[in-house]
Amino acid sequence: MKAPNRVTVVHGFFVLFALALVARAAEVQVVEGKAWVNRGKRQHYIASAAAAPRGEILDASGNTLVESRELTRVAVALPEVRDTGIVLRALRRARVDAALVHAAIERRRRWVDLPGLYSQSDIASLSKLNGVHLTPVLQRVYARSSGIRSIVGSLDGQGNPLDGLELALDATLRGDSGRVSLARDKSGRALDSPDAWTEQPRAGSTVVLTINNTLQEICERELAIAVDSLRADGGDIVVMNPHTGEILALASNRVGHTSFSNTALTEPFEPGSTLKPFVAASLLERGRARPSDMVNTHNGKLELDGRTITDMHKAAQLSLFDVIRFSSNIGIVEFGQRLTPRQKYEMFRDLGFGMPLGVPLPAESPGTLREPKEWSRQTSASILMGYEIAVTPLQLVTAYSAIANGGELLEPHLVKEVRALDGKVIYRAEPRAVRRVMSGEVARTVQGMLLAVVQEGTATKADLQTFDVAGKSGTARRTSQSAGYVAGNYTASFVGLFPGKDPQYVVLVKLDNPRGKHYAGGDIAAPVTQIVLRAALAARDAALNREDLATSEKTAIGSTAGQTSRDPTEHIDAASYDPTDNLKPRDIAEGTKSYLLDLPASHIAVPVAIAPRAVPDVRDLSVREAVHTLHAAGFRVRLGAGSASGTSPAAGTIAPPGIIVQLNRPLQ
Amino acid sequence: MALVLAAFVLVALSIVWRRTLGIGQSERLATLDGKRNELEGERARLESEIRDASSRQRLGVVAESQLGMHVPSDRQVVILPRAGRRESP
Repeated sequence: MKAPNRVTVVHGFFVLFALALVARAAEVQVVEGKAWVNRGKRQHYIASAAAAPRGEILDASGNTLVESRELTRVAVALPEVRDTGIVLRALRRARVDAALVHAAIERRRRWVDLPGLYSQSDIASLSKLNGVHLTPVLQRVYARSSGIRSIVGSLDGQGNPLDGLELALDATLRGDSGRVSLARDKSGRALDSPDAWTEQPRAGSTVVLTINNTLQEICERELAIAVDSLRADGGDIVVMNPHTGEILALASNRVGHTSFSNTALTEPFEPGSTLKPFVAASLLERGRARPSDMVNTHNGKLELDGRTITDMHKAAQLSLFDVIRFSSNIGIVEFGQRLTPRQKYEMFRDLGFGMPLGVPLPAESPGTLREPKEWSRQTSASILMGYEIAVTPLQLVTAYSAIANGGELLEPHLVKEVRALDGKVIYRAEPRAVRRVMSGEVARTVQGMLLAVVQEGTATKADLQTFDVAGKSGTARRTSQSAGYVAGNYTASFVGLFPGKDPQYVVLVKLDNPRGKHYAGGDIAAPVTQIVLRAALAARDAALNREDLATSEKTAIGSTAGQTSRDPTEHIDAASYDPTDNLKPRDIAEGTKSYLLDLPASHIAVPVAIAPRAVPDVRDLSVREAVHTLHAAGFRVRLGAGSASGTSPAAGTIAPPGIIVQLNRPLQ
Repeated sequence: MALVLAAFVLVALSIVWRRTLGIGQSERLATLDGKRNELEGERARLESEIRDASSRQRLGVVAESQLGMHVPSDRQVVILPRAGRRESP
């Protein structure tokens, strides 16, 4: 066989080389094509997460309470800066902290994150400087009202919810974040490109609250004035629509510390005489008494179970109607003996005491209502007078709403509706009756008693000139964490129904530990209620149905059945509520005994007035250890499943002990 | 051959020109997008300031202390029923 000559070998080599090139090209184009395309895209396009704007929170009238807006975070990459002098001058002109950058240059740092967020207009001149990196950040803008802020809660620096509705409705407000790819030019700057892809973020839904902003402002202002002038430790005002269960205002005020949660839901208190109407309702409902039935009230002094019960209104005997009107402790104890301990317990339990109401706010307290087997010898009488039981202001208002609406206990609502981005309503709260707690006839009878309380009883200072107001005052001694009841410390409260017939509001005013000449609920809480009602009447939009109000004016309805009509000029007006009366230090020993029970403090251990504390961080602990830690901190624990370990309320949130903390663990 | 080469150059130039124009428009779009976000942020800020400035907490104090105004008593409030209009409670 003839050996190939040199030319053939060279040709053959070129043919093989060409074939190898074609084969490699085929491999690159066909076999590895997708991988190379993806690699090219990665080099030319950057993908980044696009945060979804959180949904707005509006009040019932559509006023914005919380919204998101875009601000910019500024960072400087020092190796990329060509002329540091130009950058420093530009930062100073934009009122950005240039000193930090200056310090970083001296320390030879490569990257400096400047604190704070800036509007685009402030930093427009920085956008074209090499080495200055601007990152858009969505910021939450809240209404300045402290009450609103305690309801809606807040976010941390990373945009995670900490408390309030922001935490409770996070899934609704958060929306779905998107992803955006942008082409990069030779300098690494992002450019839009037809080849780029975008998954648009989906903004969170809009939440409409039942809160009426005007009424909320009225309540917050009057509460602040009352707390200041009475030198009280704090107070709460809650307003509810008794026909729908909508919470119209939730105002809280604590002197000396900022409460991050709304104390009207988180801090229970011993309500005192404001519970007496429910005892009367239970007696009437069970047929154990009639309004005109009389009991011996022992001329205002009764020895019972080793203690002395006294009355302000001293009488030999009183009817059930007058027991409520004059807030007779002896009378309600005497009438209450017609109920068994189990009946008393069930009455309060059916009114929603001792359990959370289910309002979508973290840290709602269930209050305290013990089973009869845990009662002491004195509890059976104490509980009738509103002691040895602790309720939150919201629980008390919800229970009074049952009297106002004809006997149905309604589920309280804080969220009126939720709207999707396109405005479509995806949730609307409807009035929901939990149970009927008294008949319509009994509710009307008790309403008549409450009208008498304001017209001729212990709370005349709540009355208005042109409208009837019904209600009940309460003055209860306060406990301290270690010393039981403290002499001179009281909770003054008043729960009002406005108008007295067919009420549109149930208003609770509670003042903690007022330090003035007056301290009884009828003297200081009732006038605050009157002022709130006057301001609401004068306001343009305070959730009042004025057509119905027009038919409720006193001139239209005449005198209340069983009551005498009074000369309007005799009414005590707002001037009778003189805050300056309360500015002088009060001699605590004087004038207190006639209003109050001389209860032995050592028997009572209702967990109220205990200092709030931070929820501990248990993210890295086992479930057992976490539960133990939370219990040790004074919280109750409910186990739940979530996307990450944590608690609700979040670690670090200041909350009162006794509330339920949900311990979340990820699903396996 | 020269014509083919000239056509190729023209096509290539038009592609580069179109791409340059696209990038320019893209930068302009990005600028306008930033401007829109800036204006929306400004609107939110101004609305928030209007709400705060017109709130009772702010106006009430000024009206009472500087203008001598006060909240009317309930007797001074006259409710005139208007047919066909109801405030929702």
